[in-house]
Amino acid sequence: MTSELIIAIIVTVVGASTPILIAALGELVVEKSGVLNLGVEGMMLVGAITAFVVLFTTGNHYLAILCAAGAGVATSLIFGFLTLSLSANQTATGLALTIFGTGFSALAGQGYSARPVTLMGPLFPADLAAHPIWRVLFGYSALVYFSFAMVIGVWWFLKKTRAGLILRAVGENDLSAHSIGYSVVGVRYAAVAFGGAMAGIAGACFPLLLTPQWAERMTAGRGWIAVALVVFASWRPFRLLAGAYLFGLVMTMELYAKASGGPLSVIPAELWAAMPYLATVVVLVLISLRRDASSNAPACLGRPFLPTN
Amino acid sequence: MQFRLEKRREPSKVMLYATPVAAVLLTMIVGAIIFSAIGYDGVGAVREIFLTPLTNSFKWQDLGVKAAPLIIIGVGLSIAYRANVWNIGAEGQYIMGGLAATWVALSTHGMGGWWTLPLMMLAGVLGGAAYAAIPALLRTRLNVNEILTSLMLTYASVQLIYYLVRAPWKDPMGMGFPQTKRFAAEALLPNIFPGTIVHAGVPIAIIVALVAWFIMSRSVFGYQMRVVGAAPHAARYGGFSENKTIWLALLVSGGLAGMAGMLEVAGPFQRMVPGFPTNYGFTAIIVAFLGRLNPLGVIFAGIVMAITFVGGEVAQTTIGLSSSATGVFQAMMLFFLLAGDILVRYRLKRVAPQEARA
Amino acid sequence: MPNRLELSGITKQFPGVLANDHVSFAVKPGEIHALLGENGAGKSTLVKMIYGIMQPDAGEIRWNGEPVVVPNPKAARKLGIGMVFQHFSLFEALTVLENIALGMDAKIPSRELEARIREVMTAYGLLLDPHRTVATLSVGERQRIEIVRALLLNPQLLIMDEPTSVLTPQEVEQLFTVLRKLAAEGCSILYISHKLHEIKALCDTATILRGGKLVDTCDPKLETSRSMAEKMIGTGLKDIVKAEGRGFGPPKLLVNRLSTSRTGHFDVPVDDVSFTVRTGEIFGIAGVAGNGQNALLDALSGEIRSEDRDAITIDGKGIGMMGTTERRRHGLCAVPEERNGHAAVGDFTLSDNSVLTARDRLGMVVMGLINSGAAKTYTGKVIADFAVKALGPASTAGSLSGGNLQKYIMGREILQKPSVLVVSQPTWGVDAGAAAAIHQALVDLAAAGSAIVVISQDLDELRTLSDTLAVINMGRLSPARPVRDFSVDEIGLLMGGVHGTVEAA
Repeated sequence: MTSELIIAIIVTVVGASTPILIAALGELVVEKSGVLNLGVEGMMLVGAITAFVVLFTTGNHYLAILCAAGAGVATSLIFGFLTLSLSANQTATGLALTIFGTGFSALAGQGYSARPVTLMGPLFPADLAAHPIWRVLFGYSALVYFSFAMVIGVWWFLKKTRAGLILRAVGENDLSAHSIGYSVVGVRYAAVAFGGAMAGIAGACFPLLLTPQWAERMTAGRGWIAVALVVFASWRPFRLLAGAYLFGLVMTMELYAKASGGPLSVIPAELWAAMPYLATVVVLVLISLRRDASSNAPACLGRPFLPTN
Repeated sequence: MQFRLEKRREPSKVMLYATPVAAVLLTMIVGAIIFSAIGYDGVGAVREIFLTPLTNSFKWQDLGVKAAPLIIIGVGLSIAYRANVWNIGAEGQYIMGGLAATWVALSTHGMGGWWTLPLMMLAGVLGGAAYAAIPALLRTRLNVNEILTSLMLTYASVQLIYYLVRAPWKDPMGMGFPQTKRFAAEALLPNIFPGTIVHAGVPIAIIVALVAWFIMSRSVFGYQMRVVGAAPHAARYGGFSENKTIWLALLVSGGLAGMAGMLEVAGPFQRMVPGFPTNYGFTAIIVAFLGRLNPLGVIFAGIVMAITFVGGEVAQTTIGLSSSATGVFQAMMLFFLLAGDILVRYRLKRVAPQEARA
Repeated sequence: MPNRLELSGITKQFPGVLANDHVSFAVKPGEIHALLGENGAGKSTLVKMIYGIMQPDAGEIRWNGEPVVVPNPKAARKLGIGMVFQHFSLFEALTVLENIALGMDAKIPSRELEARIREVMTAYGLLLDPHRTVATLSVGERQRIEIVRALLLNPQLLIMDEPTSVLTPQEVEQLFTVLRKLAAEGCSILYISHKLHEIKALCDTATILRGGKLVDTCDPKLETSRSMAEKMIGTGLKDIVKAEGRGFGPPKLLVNRLSTSRTGHFDVPVDDVSFTVRTGEIFGIAGVAGNGQNALLDALSGEIRSEDRDAITIDGKGIGMMGTTERRRHGLCAVPEERNGHAAVGDFTLSDNSVLTARDRLGMVVMGLINSGAAKTYTGKVIADFAVKALGPASTAGSLSGGNLQKYIMGREILQKPSVLVVSQPTWGVDAGAAAAIHQALVDLAAAGSAIVVISQDLDELRTLSDTLAVINMGRLSPARPVRDFSVDEIGLLMGGVHGTVEAA
């Protein structure tokens, strides 16, 4: 295998991993606050179509990302209102959000299919970004570096800041946090909105980073994989980084198998396509075998907060 | 004037049944407003989606055919959700049921008889149940969340259809289309009214719902599902095994989804095609909730959802509205329903402003 | 000097209940002031309003002479009001230091905070490692965190809500020493309790609440326990009618070297427990919360099965490997501590709740179908015989008050005429009237020939109710003795885990 091929594979893996990583980081913060938002897939689709339409109309990639984040926040607030203000069932509301995002993005994207846009260019100057070797480090768009920065940012926020401590406390014991005088609902709204912004940006990765066009359901279950990854990572940001890249690798293996022409190439394309989902199941099984799997899980995860009780 | 929520002593029965109706009505009103605001003919869209299917008698058959799988899957899901088992992979179990039935139909092609359909039915139920057994096994043995596993298996099952109809099961006379050959006559569901498209699946759906209602409300099995879902700790104290309940919930919901898959492939589709996954499994989630997890309610919720599907097609041809608008309406309905849930346990109480400040 | 805290005409209305009805009293600087009353008398509501968790509908709060509004706990702490809750507001997965930091309103660098924590800890003898995770601490140690957290703010008023309910008698003494030291330094203490002997030992003044109304403010040192109890309860106290000199029959329930395995992270399993209960005997098990009582109840009820058939026998028949349903068929019924969600399903009707445990013993199931008529009839009988205040069998369990739900649950099990009944915390959070009724029902059941096991943290309850007593500590059970042979000190030492001295004695 040539070094060019290796570099090409790495670049593809990075592209495939970035949206999952960004979405999962958002969901990690949401879950740390004690809320389970299963609507990541829906918020990603809303982000994807928003980014596409803005990019198509203005040609500005950064504006597209910003709008996708905003659309993600708006969508997440539907979830927030239902589950936090009206104490609706979080599982059901998350599912509803995904159904909504799927329908809404398809409706809004009607008439935009098969219209091309330009992918987001690399952040660094062409000398570095297009260099046959150095592009491995410098050849990516701003979104990729953003995802790395957010891994550190989320870790630092949760571990080192007072706000992060409060957020963890709310997820750990909402009634206690309430009795000390913290606004449980307020903290959770903020977390849900952050998760929405991240899911929106993750959705924007699809038209901006991967395929320069709009297709219905183009996120293809990546939002669900992101939810699974948070469990896999035991709510730890750096494990999330590892997990997301593991999945990026699984998704990219098909290319490698075809290119190498080895024994792997006899595996039918459909099995390759099913691989990320089957891998998710396998990963969930593996993680359940580890003894400390759930010890880091927020104790209040998914439970509605009822201060009157 | 301000409002305050006040906990009711007893959950309101009236609200329990009024909120789904209110959710449908609110969806129509808010839907009309939103669709007008974003530049569609909002009132027209609501009329075509919600009313035309009811007023046009030609559409009634269509309603029955679309409602049947939704009801069958919705009944299964309502049983599972009662037990707090979140099977959201009914679409995958529906596909596996359809594939299992297809396998029977293809391997008995040309030598079938009266027993072909019952055998296909058995295969469909077993196929769906077997696929749901995977999340059940993982949840009960390894405590792996069934939401994620059942959903991931759905994505995988779609790829299985693609593989089968493109390679081993492909119809050699199909002019290159990725699909199986048309099933033999004994493997096709009979129409119950000659000259219509209403197949045997429609009465089966009603029977399934009635039987499920009886079992859920009167039997120890139903009690077990309800008590494990409402209070798992109390259920254990009462002598009900949580693991056994998870198994039962997944097998029943998976089996019913598989049954719906069999009825679809032997009914409207008549063969296995890549377009077999029609999202019935996902829409049935809304059906189960809108029907208040009560099998009788599921019948009505299934019909309402079928109306939006049929109406969505009508709106597409008459006013050019994308069929995906249906999904938005369905999601909105679920949002309103979930929002209204709070009224079952709480009442809105008007409070004078000065009191609220004090 | 003005009063530290003065309440006048405080009123708070909840749906259907007047929780506080024009309550007025004052707390002087440096005074230890008891707030005394039964469960549901309105003590908790009152202090929640002082601490800013709730707002009064009417009335005035004066702080050091000035009228104040306390919009939230933060404002309360700013005024100098600290509070230690009955149910600790702690975060198990976080460290002591993180927990205390969360309770501080000002941002203090963690190194400086740690230094101040150590300072307070040494000053008051409240020793703890700031870097330990709360989950690994005992209940008494957890309470110290709460106290340290409150003391760091240099409070002028410290509210203690039922602080001793989870402590051993020795820990209670240590706590009192800290509180007396604080009061001597000028900090007022509002001490909420329903334990009369503690109030007599500690407090300068007592304000007694009943049904939301202030009944009396008195000096507890001049009152007898009985006189205060009568003010608290309203009517003359009813004593349990226990037939004198009754004998016990042959051994009924035999527990032989019963152990359970550790299930959760922080659970205390049952460790090699053996005891015998005879027919007609009430066997009490004392202990501080979290010493394996829950595991013991689950192991006896059948929720946790033993691997040894003969670890538990009834009339010589090994039932150790049976589940709850089969054990009920063999005559063993159980009532766990947690009412809502364990002993009963809040969302279900009482009728459906009867199906939960009585379906087999009373023939409510025919060929897999539930005979709802039989369930309704039985529920009606429970409601009538145990004076449960409920609209009828169709009321949901969640709509009942704690005491009424407990009466229903006890009635549901007792009317099944079990030959062995195991109950945990039979009167926890139940008003005195209901508690007396429950105690009487247990005594009557024993007199009718059942063997009864009562697991409780309430020593007073066990000392009046049981014939034989043993103490559970860290999952191990002390040798059992007739209850009158135990002194409170001995029980206290056993509860604190001091086995050797007593076994030698």
